[in-house]
Amino acid sequence: MLEGAELYFNVDHGYLEGLVRGCKASLLTQQDYINLVQCETLEDLKIHLQTTDYGNFLANQTNPLTVSKIDTEMRKRLCGEFEYFRNHSLEPLSTFLTYMTCSYMIDNVILLMNGALQKKSVKEILGKCHPLGRFTEMEAVNIAETPSDLFNAILIETPLAPFFQDCMSENALDELNIELLRNKLYKSYLEAFYKFCKNHGDVTADVMCPILEFEADRRAFIITLNSFGTELSKEDRETLYPTFGKLYPEGLRLLAQAEDFDQMKNVADHYGVYKPLFEAVGGSGGKTLEDVFYEREVQMNVLAFNRQFHYGVFYAYVKLKEQEMRNIVWIAECISQRHRTKINSYIPIL
Amino acid sequence: MGSLFRSETMCLAQLFLQSGTAYECLSALGEKGLVQFRDLNQNISTFQRKFVGEVKRCEELERILVYLVQEINRADIPLPEGETSPPAPPLKQVLEMQEQLQKLEVELREVTKNKEKLRKNLLELIEYTHMLRVTKTFVKRNVEFEPTYEEFPSLESDSLLDYSCMQRLGAKLGFVSGLINQGKVEAFEKMLWRVCKGYTIVSYAELDESLEDPETGEVIKWYVFLISFWGEQIGHKVKKICDCYHCHVYPYPNTAEERRVIQEGLNTRIQDLYTVLHKTEDYLRQVLCKAAESVYSRVIQVKKMKAIYHMLNMCSFDVTNKCLIAEVWCPEADLQDLRRALEEGSRESGATIPSFMNIIPTKETPPTRIRTNKFTEGFQNIVDAYGVGSYREVNPALFTIITFPFLFAVMFGDFGHGFVMFLFALFLVLNENHPRLNQSQEIMRMFFNGRYILLLMGLFSVYTGLIYNDCFSKSVNLFGSGWNVSAMYTSSHPPAEHKKMVLWNDSVVRHNSILQLDPSIPGVFRGPYPLGIDPIWNLATNRLTFLNSFKMKMSVILGIIHMTFGVILGIFNHLHFRKKFNIYLVSIPELLFMLCIFGYLIFMIFYKWLVFSAETSRVAPSILIEFINMFLFPASKTNGLYTGQEYVQRVLLVVTALSVPVLFLGKPLFLLWLHNGRSCFGVNRSGYTLIRKDSEEEVSLLGNQDVEEGNHQVEDGCREMACEEFNFGEILMTQVIHSIEYCLGCISNTASYLRLWALSLAHAQLSDVLWAMLMRVGLRVDTTYGVLLLFPVIALFAVLTIFILLIMEGLSAFLHAIRLHWVEFQNKFYVGAGTKFVPFSFSLLSSKFNNDDSVA
Repeated sequence: MLEGAELYFNVDHGYLEGLVRGCKASLLTQQDYINLVQCETLEDLKIHLQTTDYGNFLANQTNPLTVSKIDTEMRKRLCGEFEYFRNHSLEPLSTFLTYMTCSYMIDNVILLMNGALQKKSVKEILGKCHPLGRFTEMEAVNIAETPSDLFNAILIETPLAPFFQDCMSENALDELNIELLRNKLYKSYLEAFYKFCKNHGDVTADVMCPILEFEADRRAFIITLNSFGTELSKEDRETLYPTFGKLYPEGLRLLAQAEDFDQMKNVADHYGVYKPLFEAVGGSGGKTLEDVFYEREVQMNVLAFNRQFHYGVFYAYVKLKEQEMRNIVWIAECISQRHRTKINSYIPIL
Repeated sequence: MGSLFRSETMCLAQLFLQSGTAYECLSALGEKGLVQFRDLNQNISTFQRKFVGEVKRCEELERILVYLVQEINRADIPLPEGETSPPAPPLKQVLEMQEQLQKLEVELREVTKNKEKLRKNLLELIEYTHMLRVTKTFVKRNVEFEPTYEEFPSLESDSLLDYSCMQRLGAKLGFVSGLINQGKVEAFEKMLWRVCKGYTIVSYAELDESLEDPETGEVIKWYVFLISFWGEQIGHKVKKICDCYHCHVYPYPNTAEERRVIQEGLNTRIQDLYTVLHKTEDYLRQVLCKAAESVYSRVIQVKKMKAIYHMLNMCSFDVTNKCLIAEVWCPEADLQDLRRALEEGSRESGATIPSFMNIIPTKETPPTRIRTNKFTEGFQNIVDAYGVGSYREVNPALFTIITFPFLFAVMFGDFGHGFVMFLFALFLVLNENHPRLNQSQEIMRMFFNGRYILLLMGLFSVYTGLIYNDCFSKSVNLFGSGWNVSAMYTSSHPPAEHKKMVLWNDSVVRHNSILQLDPSIPGVFRGPYPLGIDPIWNLATNRLTFLNSFKMKMSVILGIIHMTFGVILGIFNHLHFRKKFNIYLVSIPELLFMLCIFGYLIFMIFYKWLVFSAETSRVAPSILIEFINMFLFPASKTNGLYTGQEYVQRVLLVVTALSVPVLFLGKPLFLLWLHNGRSCFGVNRSGYTLIRKDSEEEVSLLGNQDVEEGNHQVEDGCREMACEEFNFGEILMTQVIHSIEYCLGCISNTASYLRLWALSLAHAQLSDVLWAMLMRVGLRVDTTYGVLLLFPVIALFAVLTIFILLIMEGLSAFLHAIRLHWVEFQNKFYVGAGTKFVPFSFSLLSSKFNNDDSVA
């Protein structure tokens, strides 16, 4: 890539960048959240959302309104926007956008396989799949019995195929193996995405690399946290960590040896970025590690909008919108379950 | 005209609406569109307001109506649009209407659901028959082949051998057959192959006709496929893959007999379905037709109802909860109408206590309301696009009506082009009631809305075109030129005078390609052309030099007159807002500054035009040099325009120089003096504060004296912000900035008016080029074939004239005219910091079906 993306960027991607910035401006504001929290019923929520950029997206829903209806409609909206971006994008932005969908595709594949394991009908699970990660071959996923089967028969032509290099095994797909498969896929995916951004260079690399590094580190922490008390061996655990990020390589080695939360925290204490995050856990408002990570993610994504001429804005926008959807769903759940004490623990988008 | 000069006086009125009659009152108000409501519940979020339930109900009705309209459109039933808009429904009818609509919706949904089901069924059956028909060919091969294979088992090709072996082994040979979307065939086949490792046989055939997809209703191409496989495991996989690719799988008959039976069964069922479907559709159509009659008025009614509740949401309740209080801005001229509307509303609802209104004095700035008609509307829009005028300030739109087309025409001066434009605008104006023009979109709409502007622009262009004597770049000799060429010849003068003059004889004419007429020779120049530029200039080589000098001077003169007029309008503003000191300390220094420099320049131009004639033109001084010398005081004396010029210029310069410090410091110092010496009430505040006095007077005029003075104070106190602090530094800064802007602006703005010259020059040159490149070429071809060439040339000329000269050049002249108004003219006096008066009026609601934005 030549130096000075500023010169050519707008030729190919200017329109979409403008569009995505406009979309970002339509995210709910702090005032909107304050109003949403005051809602008594989901109907109120709907009325308030009508005054925002969501418009009357729920207008054609017949009563009674449920949280899942709201969630589906919001997802549909996001998906519609994303499809629009994707259909109008040129290389290499379209590859970038494809990379973005890969994570949802992995989640969907895993979800379907878990469903197949529990003998649920495909239709039922398809409804739960994220629309961004939809692809045609998806529904045939449950034919496969081993990961290599899955790769050879079904996913070989999807963008997920390159991520299978590490996980070609003949093990039967039970719950643990599926989880391992997910993590391995994720690891290869993140590494590939990271490499793509790095090779692209320019502002995109400047913006996307820290975000992906954070994502990798977060996965490492979460994997570690989830592996406590399971039969996963430490060596296996280490192979699941994405091999880049702030923690790589020493932190990951230390993390692989960690046996409980405190040891994990000790590892994090070596890193200026993660120390405050771990300190915030359990502090005021009883935040979980997940919340803290989400907050940090939101912060990074918002900052991505401070620079121009890069693809990070697309990533950041989708992530922010996702967070917003999680927030709305959280608030809606709290309202519908009359569980108002926790209603304020959504993640504010700055 | 008076209403266009300033915005109307407004008053703030409080409406006390009995809760029973509020709806009817607002309905009456909405029909008239008299008042603008103020939101009294600003700090209450939308879902906590009083009438949320009612708004929600309206939305529900809207949803049903949208559904109805959608269904009606889908059934291709024409939707009649009523001429008159029905009034908002009385409250008693609303419930009835809601019930009706809901019933209709339920019925409709059921019928459509049935219909869809039937249709889907039908489509599936049709698909099935197609599949059977096509797969028959696959199978025929197999069947024909069966006996031969038993005799010669080893002779057949591999795949068939496989198949037959299975048959013979008696293993479970399975078939899956169905239809698949054309685009998915390839991927489907690949996956089948990969998953089943080749243990399947797939045969395809494309269907020759496109079928509708039962699920999405799309018409697409389909492929019929037949998969034969062996073994149950693979069978499961195949079925799953079929599901994955959304194939429509139908049971496959094993024997020919079975096939025939199925086929017959299908045919009869399809027949049955057709009849049932037909009946259902007929019924649906009837229902929709009936619904279509009333749907227009329903849509309007619901919209009105929703608007009313939106407005009611802005009202506050009084303490007893019996009465709604609304605050509205109302033009004073409409107060009577407002009262009448309230009475009407109360009467209609049959309430015992009438709703009434009260005028409350306020110090807040009312919205700006300027009544326009279809003629002035366009011009008002030009001004509003810059900024809506502050309350009661001089409205430049009134003057724009003339100055805008005029300045445009100065740049667009060509009476041929102007006339075409005029005709186009005239066409629009004469057909303004035509529905197709009325509802035109995009660019056409723009032209349509500006039709009166275009009309005047065209007319004025005709006028300036006559002055420039340009018609499609050619001059027209209407009155006969004032120049006489023959007078230049030696023979036309007595020989005694030959010595004094440079005259022409045959050899001069023969040997010079360029000849110069000399106006000082008697008989050559017989006085000016009666109107505009003499057509002889069209032939002259120094035409441009002549026109440039004329147009440049003209644009400076026009510009300075325009700007001076702007400053004078400022005086009207100061008078109206009772700030006389502004006249002495701002407007008059400004005027002096402008007139002493540029006014004097105009004077010099006129003086030179009037005093110097052809004979004395050689000794005439250059205005440019004289003007520069006015500031430089050169050591060497020039001969000057007139005697005593130097002294006059000195005096003017001194006046100019003196006006600058007055402009800079006068107003701030005066205000400081007022503040310190005389603690005069509120002079330092902005202009609108004095309105309060007015409105108090008006209150007494209207006979509502029973509102007590004490009440005023209390109400005003809570209504308004605290009055501004006196801040000398700030005032000084503002004034200094304003003055610098003005003084520099005088020079740069004057220069800016030179665009009048530049654009008119460009226009004239462009049309000249077009003529020379096209028409002249066309006209030069010899007479026999010239006609044939002339037709396309004229067509091209016309097209280019319209697109380049009329539309493109017209747009650029339009833009420049707008700029001259917005920047050069309006910054002399226009603040434009007001808010527009948006009345609550049903006529602003869109009366279209698919446009569902509401007024709020």
